[in-house]
Amino acid sequence: MSGQSDPRGSTFSAAELEFLAEDETMEIVPNLSMERLSLISGDFGPFRPQIATQVPIWLAVALKKRGKCTIRPPDWMSVEKLTQVLEAERDSASSFEALPFHYVEISRLLFDHARDDIPDVYMVRSLIEDIKDVRFHKIGTGLEKLSSRTYAMKLNLSAMEVNVIRPFVTGGLETFYKLGNPEMIQESERQEFRRPQAADRGPRRELRR
Amino acid sequence: MAQYYDIDDILADEELVPAVFLEAINGVGLFESNDTNRVEPRSKVELPFWLARELHLRQAASVSMPPCFNKKTREEIGADGAHVDLRTRCSYFYELGCKIVQLIGDKTIGSLLLVAFQTRYKEVLIKAHTAASALTPKFLSLLTKEEIKLYDAAKSSTAAFRNWRMGGPRFQKASVLGRKRKPIGEKNMHFCLPALWRIGYRLGCS
Repeated sequence: MSGQSDPRGSTFSAAELEFLAEDETMEIVPNLSMERLSLISGDFGPFRPQIATQVPIWLAVALKKRGKCTIRPPDWMSVEKLTQVLEAERDSASSFEALPFHYVEISRLLFDHARDDIPDVYMVRSLIEDIKDVRFHKIGTGLEKLSSRTYAMKLNLSAMEVNVIRPFVTGGLETFYKLGNPEMIQESERQEFRRPQAADRGPRRELRR
Repeated sequence: MAQYYDIDDILADEELVPAVFLEAINGVGLFESNDTNRVEPRSKVELPFWLARELHLRQAASVSMPPCFNKKTREEIGADGAHVDLRTRCSYFYELGCKIVQLIGDKTIGSLLLVAFQTRYKEVLIKAHTAASALTPKFLSLLTKEEIKLYDAAKSSTAAFRNWRMGGPRFQKASVLGRKRKPIGEKNMHFCLPALWRIGYRLGCS
């Protein structure tokens, strides 16, 4: 899948990512009666007043705008959970906490449309901002280690974070690949610039262009 | 390696490299002052890379190291690669380097390029994600074309993200929605307006 906003189709715009995030499901408590909705992505409902049900975010937001439901913020969006995550993020310099893949987009959607359904909304909002800043800082310091020997990275990065760094990382890796090509460098000189590394990495697959 | 339609690849071919003619060649017209239109053997000329390569491969000339890979530059890169002004020396430093290596087989250039990029890459990374735009012009004037491309990519993606987070107009109204209906198209518009509303509903601009 690729974005439509970029002529080369290699990145998404933030609005496109938000659109994709709207397909995640979320719990709502409707205050209307409605039959089951059969959509392409699945069946949702039936809707009965005061009975919680799972719906995609775009539907939740649309119902919320008409005052037909209250949104139950997901578990990770509570002050306690976010404080834990923030502390863990600050403690470890290299690993990332497991947050939902679309946490940046979902939180923005809920802050925009369902402020009254989130307990301690200001606190939650500033916590999420902090978490995001800490993570971006870590990404920045992590990228400094990028080199011609970087083949794959496994991190718990979210969609938005990946999208922001994508153009830079792909460009940088491509140049590293080009310059670190064995044709370009003698084997003996290659050793010189090799930094000490862990031995138990296992076999690596070479990144192909 | 060469990308046929890549404009940067084409422009990198235009960089001048020093070459020495091994044979006498007639009718090249390299020197305006010379009315015989003939190049003597062992005359030194600066040729664009694309011409020098062809002559080198035909053994009509021998290409030597371009001045941007000389000892002085190497020492400067070794000392502090991030602040060397590579752009005035050769704005296609890396591309030309790759091409030269294949041609004259001096493998020390390869490691020079890699070290230079490794040190300069970090600087680009830090500046692109943090620096205020007022700081950048001086720094940008040091970068080669390839590094500038990287810098711009990082800068624009962070700026786009920041814009989105700050809000601003969340949804743009489709131009058809605001327009007054024309009398001729009235029937059609009646038909398609509910459809447009439904799209608007999905997008949230109720």
